[in-house]
Amino acid sequence: MAEKRTDTELLALFREPATKEKAFTEIVKKYQERLYWHIRRMLVDHDDSNDVMQNVFIRVWNALSGFREDAQLFTWLYRIATNECLTFIEQQKKKATTSLNDIESGLSNKIRADKDFDANKLEWKLQLAIQQLPEKQRVVFTLRYYDDMPYEEMSRILDTSAGALKASYHHAAKKIEDFILNH
Amino acid sequence: MITVQGLIDAMEGRNEILTELLEIAPFLGKEGALKVPYVAPAGYFEDFADILMYRIRFEADGFGEINNVSSPEEIAEFSPLLAGLKNKNPYQVPTGYFQNLNTKVRVVENIPTKLVTIPGSNRTRKISFPMKIVRYAAAACIIGMIGITTFNLTHHQISDPINGLTTVSDQDMANYLDIDDVHWTPENTSSLETSTVNLSDNDIHDLLGSVPDVELEQYSLLLPEQKPSVN
Repeated sequence: MAEKRTDTELLALFREPATKEKAFTEIVKKYQERLYWHIRRMLVDHDDSNDVMQNVFIRVWNALSGFREDAQLFTWLYRIATNECLTFIEQQKKKATTSLNDIESGLSNKIRADKDFDANKLEWKLQLAIQQLPEKQRVVFTLRYYDDMPYEEMSRILDTSAGALKASYHHAAKKIEDFILNH
Repeated sequence: MITVQGLIDAMEGRNEILTELLEIAPFLGKEGALKVPYVAPAGYFEDFADILMYRIRFEADGFGEINNVSSPEEIAEFSPLLAGLKNKNPYQVPTGYFQNLNTKVRVVENIPTKLVTIPGSNRTRKISFPMKIVRYAAAACIIGMIGITTFNLTHHQISDPINGLTTVSDQDMANYLDIDDVHWTPENTSSLETSTVNLSDNDIHDLLGSVPDVELEQYSLLLPEQKPSVN
């Protein structure tokens, strides 16, 4: 099995016109699953997630040659993905001209409409509970809970202090537990 | 490549997160890490990079390369199955439908119509019979409306409403007020509801000449503070 290239190697290949597409395809394959699940947990629906995934990687394609490696590539990708998710949710709100509550109930309905949905299973209840959170708290919770992300790294993605993120995660976890225990 | 140290770090990180969660939300913490219950479509991650690269080339090329690819070539590249079905049409039309359609169109084309030349231009317009009737009817309506308005203006004099009231008998006026439920008493009047009219002594003499002195005295008792003006 061929050894996987490091991010630095891939970025060097990306800067060469002859290997640009190949390097980019490798970057996509390397990070697509982690980014997909990050996006999917935010948007619930696969088609919406796929649209946002494509937009994220097109942004990456356009901006990658200017990426200075001050941060890790992975952190930078998460930052773009998170911003795209939040933008998508904003656009949905404007399109629907509905309140935040309507958007949240829309996401909850999407969860219930999933062919595998089982209201008795805790993992599905957890998804319903996550959708009750404000958007940014939802991002913090999923990055920490599912992606095991350290607060320092999250801080670079979300431009928020580690202390504020810790408090946000604390609130989110309490709210989720209350929701699960009372529903 | 995932190293042993990397795995150890990841496990330590995971334990730290679970410990933290156990402190914040014990119920969630004791359940351990719950999996995401969503499922991605089969083969999604295998195809995603290729589909993405196709879109990037498409957008970077300014649609030039794509426009040079014919539709059959394009669909053959994506899906040989769909390419094979391209010319198989499951719908059917009645036998001879298209021959009859041609005949029907000719019949419609042969209905006689009048060609009208628009003055000042070289264009001609076809005006069909019903359209002509509609135009005549519209012209007749306009002429009729102008005639009625002119008649009303020349034959109806607007009479002075005050003069008209002098010919109404007291009984008719009383009936009118009863029917319209109009209640009027001197106490209810105010400067907003009535207007003041300045009258000369001669006018007052003419107006009150036929009123007996007894009634005038009774009326003046009702309005002791009134100044000599009439409301």
